[in-house]
Formats: sequence, C-alpha cells, structure tokens
Amino acid sequence: MTVRRTWGRRNRPEVNCREVGRVLQSYLDNDVEEDFAAKIASHLEACKECGLEVETYRQIKRSLAAKMPEVDPDAIARLRSFGEEITS
Amino acid sequence: MGEHASDAMCVEFVVEKTLEGLGPASPVKASHAGETRAARSSFPTGTALRVNGLVVSRRMTEPVVDEKAQKEAFDRYVVPEIEVLYRVARSITRNPTDAEDLVQDTMLRAYRAILRFDGRHPRAWLLTIMRNAQINRVRRKRPELLRDPDAAMERLADEDSADLGPEALVVEQEYDAAVEKAVDALPEKFRAVIELVDIQGLSYAEAAEIIGVPTGTVMSRLHRARTRIRKHLESSGAYVNGRPT
Repeated sequence: MTVRRTWGRRNRPEVNCREVGRVLQSYLDNDVEEDFAAKIASHLEACKECGLEVETYRQIKRSLAAKMPEVDPDAIARLRSFGEEITS
Repeated sequence: MGEHASDAMCVEFVVEKTLEGLGPASPVKASHAGETRAARSSFPTGTALRVNGLVVSRRMTEPVVDEKAQKEAFDRYVVPEIEVLYRVARSITRNPTDAEDLVQDTMLRAYRAILRFDGRHPRAWLLTIMRNAQINRVRRKRPELLRDPDAAMERLADEDSADLGPEALVVEQEYDAAVEKAVDALPEKFRAVIELVDIQGLSYAEAAEIIGVPTGTVMSRLHRARTRIRKHLESSGAYVNGRPT
C-alpha cells in the first residue's frame, strides 16, 4: 500500500453511495486508509447496489489476475546464464 | 554505495624527457576529480608541456572498475529481479523472443551502471533501465512511435484488434475470454497499466517507472481502463454474479 488517502472523511460515521463510487477503485486496490476502508466495507454490506458494483469490479480483477502467463523456465534459465556470463 | 571513487578517471602525467643529469622522475597521478577537471581543461590529452626543462605529456588511463564489487552488486540487485523483468518485458513486447532480448539488454545496461546505483528500490531502478532500453528498441524499429507515442500506440492497438471483428467480441459468452478480449481492445496506454498492475501485480509506483508517467496518471489510467473493460463486457453480454455487468 504505497499511497493512502483519507479524503477528509476519517471522523465521519458513515459514507454514502456517491462517496463510495468516487473511491471504489482505490478501495479495491487497498489504497485507502484502514479506518475509511472499514466504513466503506460497512456501507457495502448495507447497500446492495454498491455491493454489487464492487463485486463486479472484483470479478474483473480476479479474472485479470488469473491471466498472469506461465513463465517459460527455460527463458529464465537462459537469462540467469546470461547474467553469469556478463559477470564472469 | 561507496564505489563511485573507483570509477574515477585517472590522469597520469608522464615525464617523457629529462634534462641531462636530472635522471628519470616518477609519474604524477591526479585522481581527484577537481584536479582531473583542471588538468583536462588546462592541459589536454596529447599535448606536451615543458616544466622547468622537463617535457611532460598527459595521457588518459582507463577507468578503474572494481569488478568484484560490480559482480556482487549485480548478484544482489539484478539477479533476484530477472523473473519480474521477464514478466514485465513479456507484457510490453507481447513477444517471448523480444522479451528475452529486452531483458538481456536491460541486464547489460544495469551491469555497466551498477556501481553508480545507490541500492535503493532496485526493481524501480531496473524498470527505468528497461523502459529506456525499450524506447531505444522501438525507435530503431518504428521511429514514428516516438513523435506522438499515445496516438501511435492507439493506432497500433487498432491494427492489433482490427482482425477480431465485432461479432467475435459479442458472441463470446465465457467470462474470462470476454475480459481478455476487452483488455485486447483497450488503447495501448490503458492496456499497459492493466497488464502491469492487475495482471503482473506491480504496484502503482513500479508501473509508473516502467511507463514513465507519474503515479497519479497510472491510477487514473487504471481506473478508466477498468471502466472500459466493464463497458466492453456489458456490450458483449458477459455476466457477473448472475447478472449482466
């Protein structure tokens, strides 16, 4: 988590749908402060519309993460040998 | 890292002739950077100077490189990142052979520069090197890409997706395949952030290094890219959680 945003809402008890929509992507990337994230999570449990919205993007992220291609171990071995060659 | 001094250029003053009876004199070395600059400007290589009857010339010697320190630093900072470098190279070249060439190029550049590296954030440092190496490769292959990279990349993305056809994108119902097609249809600048952050798992900052834009731009592009993917899924009729996206 490299960047954290409070969005000036740290001390407010609740967040509304508009606010959740604005920070939804940062929330999905764990890029909001912990206490604000907890408020968003609480809103998502109570608000079906926002909950489905977040789940839609989570599904996209999961699908993308599963796309990480297998790395050819031979290519990595060749690159390691190349590293040994240039340092020897 | 304290290896900088070992890379300094040495200037050696060599007595070429002596006056009769004085005997040979020892060469005078000036390895201090200030002395080197002064000597360089006032006494260029290849010239000779008569000092108190001595004819003195100056020659430049090769930089002194501490090869042991160079290898140690390379093993410490570069070797552990080889797999990540290869994954990123695969993303930005979209070709395994080009990716391997790009990583080799990056490793060579890193090896040459390793003694000037301060040891902080090696992955970010390597990604910057890779980005510069890739720019040079693109410049050699497609010089027009460097004049207006964004516009040119959009054109390339259009060329890449031109053969898919709208029907193929709409007909595909399987969700992951639809997402893949949505990513492929993105303009290059959006596809790149999706590949680096959502697929390869780099941080915003690391992706910013390789693309060469501020972190905020990466975030903005990433969010817009996901929104485009979602809209693409909507138009192709892909379903998420039992409902149309």
